This record gives sequence, C-alpha cells and structure tokens, in this order.
Amino acid sequence: MPQVPLADYLILATVLFVIGLVGFLVRRNPITMLMAIELMWNAGNLVFAAFARNFGDMTGQVFVFIVITVAAAEAAISLAIVVMVFRHREDVDVDDISVMRG
Amino acid sequence: MDKFAALVLVILLLPLAGAVLISFAGPYLPRVAAAVIANGTLLVAFLMTGIVALTGWQATSSGQTIPQHFAYGTWALIPPLKISFGLLIDPLALTWMLIITGVGFLIHLYSVGYMASDRNYRTFFAYMNLFVFTMLLLVMSDNFLWLLVGWGGVGLASYLLIGFYYDRVSAVLAARKALIMNVIGDVGIMIAIFLIYAHLGSAAYSDVFARVASVGAPALTAIGLWLLLGAVAKSAQLPLHTWLPDAMEGPTPVSALIHAATMVTAGVYLIARCYPIYDHAPVAAEVVAVVGATSALFAATIGCVQYDIKRVLAYSTMSQIGYMMFAVGAGAYTAGAFHFLTHAFFKALLFMAAGIVIQNLGGEQDIRKMGGLAGKMPLAFWTFLIGTVAIAGVPPFAGFFSKDAVIDAAIALHHPVLGAFLIIAAFLTAFYMFRLLFLTFFSGAYRGDGAPHDHPMVSMNVPVVVLAILATVGGFLAAPLGAALRLTFVGALHDQDIATINWPVAAGAFLLVVAGIATAYALYQVRPQLRESLIRALAGPRQLVMNAYYLDTVYHWLVEVPAYAIADAAAGFFETFIIRAIPLAASATAAALGGFARAWESGQLRRYGLTIAVGVVLLLAWYVITAYAAASQGVLPQ
Repeated sequence: MPQVPLADYLILATVLFVIGLVGFLVRRNPITMLMAIELMWNAGNLVFAAFARNFGDMTGQVFVFIVITVAAAEAAISLAIVVMVFRHREDVDVDDISVMRG
Repeated sequence: MDKFAALVLVILLLPLAGAVLISFAGPYLPRVAAAVIANGTLLVAFLMTGIVALTGWQATSSGQTIPQHFAYGTWALIPPLKISFGLLIDPLALTWMLIITGVGFLIHLYSVGYMASDRNYRTFFAYMNLFVFTMLLLVMSDNFLWLLVGWGGVGLASYLLIGFYYDRVSAVLAARKALIMNVIGDVGIMIAIFLIYAHLGSAAYSDVFARVASVGAPALTAIGLWLLLGAVAKSAQLPLHTWLPDAMEGPTPVSALIHAATMVTAGVYLIARCYPIYDHAPVAAEVVAVVGATSALFAATIGCVQYDIKRVLAYSTMSQIGYMMFAVGAGAYTAGAFHFLTHAFFKALLFMAAGIVIQNLGGEQDIRKMGGLAGKMPLAFWTFLIGTVAIAGVPPFAGFFSKDAVIDAAIALHHPVLGAFLIIAAFLTAFYMFRLLFLTFFSGAYRGDGAPHDHPMVSMNVPVVVLAILATVGGFLAAPLGAALRLTFVGALHDQDIATINWPVAAGAFLLVVAGIATAYALYQVRPQLRESLIRALAGPRQLVMNAYYLDTVYHWLVEVPAYAIADAAAGFFETFIIRAIPLAASATAAALGGFARAWESGQLRRYGLTIAVGVVLLLAWYVITAYAAASQGVLPQ
C-alpha cells in the first residue's frame, strides 16, 4: 500500500487551517465562527497525527485526543454563551457584542 | 547608670514628660491639671537641680571631686562618626540649669494667673514645658551635636510661643521673622560643627577642648566666628537682633522666660562654654566683644525713645545681653555668667511686673496711655521699681555688682573704646528705665481711656515678689558663683575675679547712673516742656532712633525685596516651564500610551482574531527568514 507522503498531510492541514482562519475572520455569525475554529483545531490535529505516524511516535496521537477533548469542552461553553447572548439580545452578530456589560 | 546619672537625666526629661503628657491628653486633661503638671515638673526639676548643685558644692568645698560627666550611650552611624549622648553637669551648666528651672518655675506659676482666661491654656503650658526641656538639653549636653538639637528646639519653642496668639497677623509675622533669623544662626552653628569635626575629629566638648592647642589659629578663628553667628542670631545681637522687639507679640510670660531670662542668653552660654576655642582665637574673641559692646550701646539708644512698655524692655534685654557678650568676648567669662544670673532675676521681674500692669489695663502696652499708676497698682509699682534700680545699677541691687564686674573687666583687659560704649550704655540704661518707670507710674495722672484697677492674683504676685527679693540680693551671689565657675573655666586666659569690686570705677559708673536717673527725672517729672523742646530740636535723629536705625527697612530692601523678585521670576518662568512642564509631560505620555492601548481593546472579536493571525504570520515569517539565513551559512535550524 503506497504511503501518502508527509508533505501532502501538511498541505491539507495548511489548507484546512487557512479556510478556518479566513472563516473566523470574515463571518459574523458566532456559530459559523465556532465551526471555523473547529476547522483550525482539526488542522492542528492532522499535523500531530501525520508527524506521529511519520516518526512512529505515539505521543502526537495522544495530543490529538487531548485536543479533541478540550475542543469539545470549548464548544460546549461557547455554544452555551451564544445561547445566552441570543436570549438576551435576540441577535448574535459578534460585531455588535463589543462590551462586557449589558 | 548610677543614681546620680539617673537623677541628672530625670531633671532633663521631666519637662519633656510634662509637655508630652499635656499634649497627648489634650482636652481630656482639666485645665487645672495641665497647670499642675507643668508647674510640678518644673518645681521637681528645680529642686533636683538644687540637690545636684548643693552636692557638688559640698563635695568640692570638702576637697573631693565628683563626676561632672555622665555618658548614657553611643551609636556609630557611619563607622568613624560616633555620636554619644551624655550630659556635662559642671558649674557653668548648673548656673544656667538653676535659672532655667528656677526662674522657669516662677514664670510658669505666674502664667497660671496671667493666662487664666486664655482658651489655649493647655497648649501654652505644653509649649512652655517643651521650651524648658530643649533649653535644658542645650545647656546640659556634653557635645556640640546635642547642643544643636537643643539650639534648634528652643528656636522652635520660641517660634510657637511668639505666634501663640495665632489669630493676630502681627504675631504670626513676628514668629516667622524670629524663626528665619534663628535658622540663619543654626546654619552658622552647623558649619562650625562641621569645621570642628574636620579639624578636631570629634564633637564632644572634652575631646574638642583638649585638642584646641594642636589646631592653628585660622581654623579656630573660623570656628569661633561661625559659632558667633549662631550666638548673634539667638541672643539678638547686631546685626541679627531685629526679631527680638517683634517677639514681644508673644504672651508676657514668654517674653520673660524665653526672650529675657533664658533663651536669648544661649549665645552667651555657647561662647562661655567654648572658652578654650576663643582663648586660642583672639580675633574671633575680639569680634565677639565688639559685637557685644556695640549691641549694648545700640540697643540702649533705641530703648530711650520707644513707647511700647515691652519693646523698651526688649531693647534693654538686647543691651544687657550685649554686656554679657562683651564680657565673654573679652575673656571675662565669669563676669558674663554673673550678669546673666542677675539679669535673669531683674529682667524676668520687670517683664512680670509689666505684665501685671498690662493685664490690669486690659492689654494696653503703650506707655503714653499709662501714667499715675503707682498708687493704683502698688505691688506692680514697687516690684517694677526694684527691677528698675537693679537693671540701672544702683547699689546694693543685683545689677550694680554684675554690671560693675563687666565694666571692670573692660578696663582690666584694656578695651578702652568698648568700655566707653558700656559706660555710656549704663548711663542710657538708667535714663530709659527711669523714663519707662516715670511714664508708667508717675508723670501726672492716668492718660489712658481704660479703667485701671488692681486685680491681685496670688499666682502672679508670689513669683514677682520672689524675683524682687532675688533682684535685690542677687548681687551677693558673686562670691559663691565666682568660686564655682572657677572649676569650669580652668586655664582661661583672661578670666576676672567678680567678687572684688573696683571701687573708683564703680563709683564713677554709679555717678553716671545717677546722672541718667536725674536726666529722666528732669525730663519726665519736672520739666515736660523741656522734653518737648528737646524732641523738636532733635526731630531728625529721634526719628532715626525711633525706627531702630531703619535696619528693618534695610533688610527689607536688601533681603526681602530681592528674595521676592527671585521668587516672582521663578514663579513666572521656572514654575511654568520647568516645574509644571515635568508633570504635564508625564501625564501627556501616560494619556498617549493609554489611548494606544485602548485602541486595541475594541471588544471586536474579529479584530482580535485578525491581530492574532497577523501576529502568528509575522512570527512565522521571522522564523522562516532566520532559518533561511542560518541555512545559507551552513547551520541547520534546530
């Protein structure tokens, strides 16, 4: 079975990361922004996994699991905040949410 | 610490304890208690001083020696510099201590009545006790540093008490003037101490005086002259005397204690204490004598034309201290100390008798609005009369002996010109004191618009009577005082015996005194018309003298006006462009930095994201560039 070269993984990860970054910067809906963040997380995960496989060292895969766990927690908190903001303001445009109070 | 050392320390600390207690208890302390504490501490201190003096007297007369020096501790601040706290209780210090605590107690007692209706009664006693403490420290210290502490302390107490009636602008100004002039003197003493330390390597009297012979005359002259600056400021001698007449703004007991009996004689004490320095620095000593004799004559002339009863007494104080300064400058230290002793008696007496008059007239001090009071206030009159004949030098009252001792010294030590000054001043003293007496108590009927009444108060009358007795018999203390002070002025070159009287000189001086009294009697009792025509004939000179030779005006133009000009210039330029510019620049910088930081805190989530992204890209770019640069030099990135 032919090996997929390391460079391909890294290119894919870079593409995913940039898509996530641009998505985070250009979208104003927090749900979409959270999805973009998720993309960036996973670009990082992919790099971890690719290097782990390349060097035959499982530490990278352990990190992937940790990142997934943390990402899940982050998503839960973020979504909760989004729901609260929506309830409070009936609107979730991040450009309007610029102050802590109110 | 043996018992004697502890006793001596307690003498010093008792008045301080009184001042602290009264200050901290404040309004919780009944007025009576404040008076009792202040008087009690002083009475006990006086009795203890008396015990010390008598013990010393007995021991020396039976041939023993008793310790005079008590060390309590030393601390080395910077290794070669050692400052010790010790007390030197020799006959010279004891002379002053007895007056400070003894006359101080009498004046405290007098104040109980004199200040009875003052709302700041407790404050007054706290200040007075503070003064006594600092004055005792000044005379008891065994080194120059603690002397300076006491020296500054009496200046502070004097400032507080001159400005005691702080709702009077003139009193506040007078207090400020006194403080400024005294600080000039304090700086002089500080410089003298620096010089002493530089040349003699110690500030303790015992070290300094043991080593003076090894130091050249120029250095000692410089030290002596800087010390003299301090003495001149504190003792109100020319040319730093102008604060003393203004200091009469303070309550009369303050004038009696601080500005007559004790503080203003600190300069005399200082020079007598430093007699080894002045014996080895004849030029400095000569300057002291010139300053003293000139001040004596100068002040006596002004005293002849003043109309404020307390100002006349102030100028006479300056004049009498001039005698003392002359004596110690000429080398007749014992005579100077003797005149200090008798002067403390009769001048405190005069002030306190004047205080009774002032109080009975409801605060009137202008002698033109007095007159004919002899019958109305018999006690004040008789005591004032005793004080007047004592200061004028009528035998057998105290001033006759001490003034004669000073004039004898002038003749014995060959100071013909200065001696003549003193003799003329003696004539003028008799004249202006009797002028004061006549204008106050005789010269026709009462001229004021008040209602003179005699309002005897035991606490005021008792001290006045005691001092009247002392002013009468004080002259006979010459023999014991001279014998005691011989133990202090060991090896003094020119010291004179004060117990023997040079009768021809004394008789001549007495004739002049009689002439002075007769002149005053003629001008103020017998022929007022003659006085009027004399005033008209001498209008110009009289104007000059009445304004104290315009020295205040000279100082105004010489010091005050330039000082204000500099201050105004500084306020215009320096203040605006330098002093204010620094905080303004600092605040502008802070505001700019804050604005910059605030711009980042927009709250815009996407801008934060962009910032982070740009940062990451920049960091990556930096890493890549450096990695390539390293690789191009053959070094692989880690």
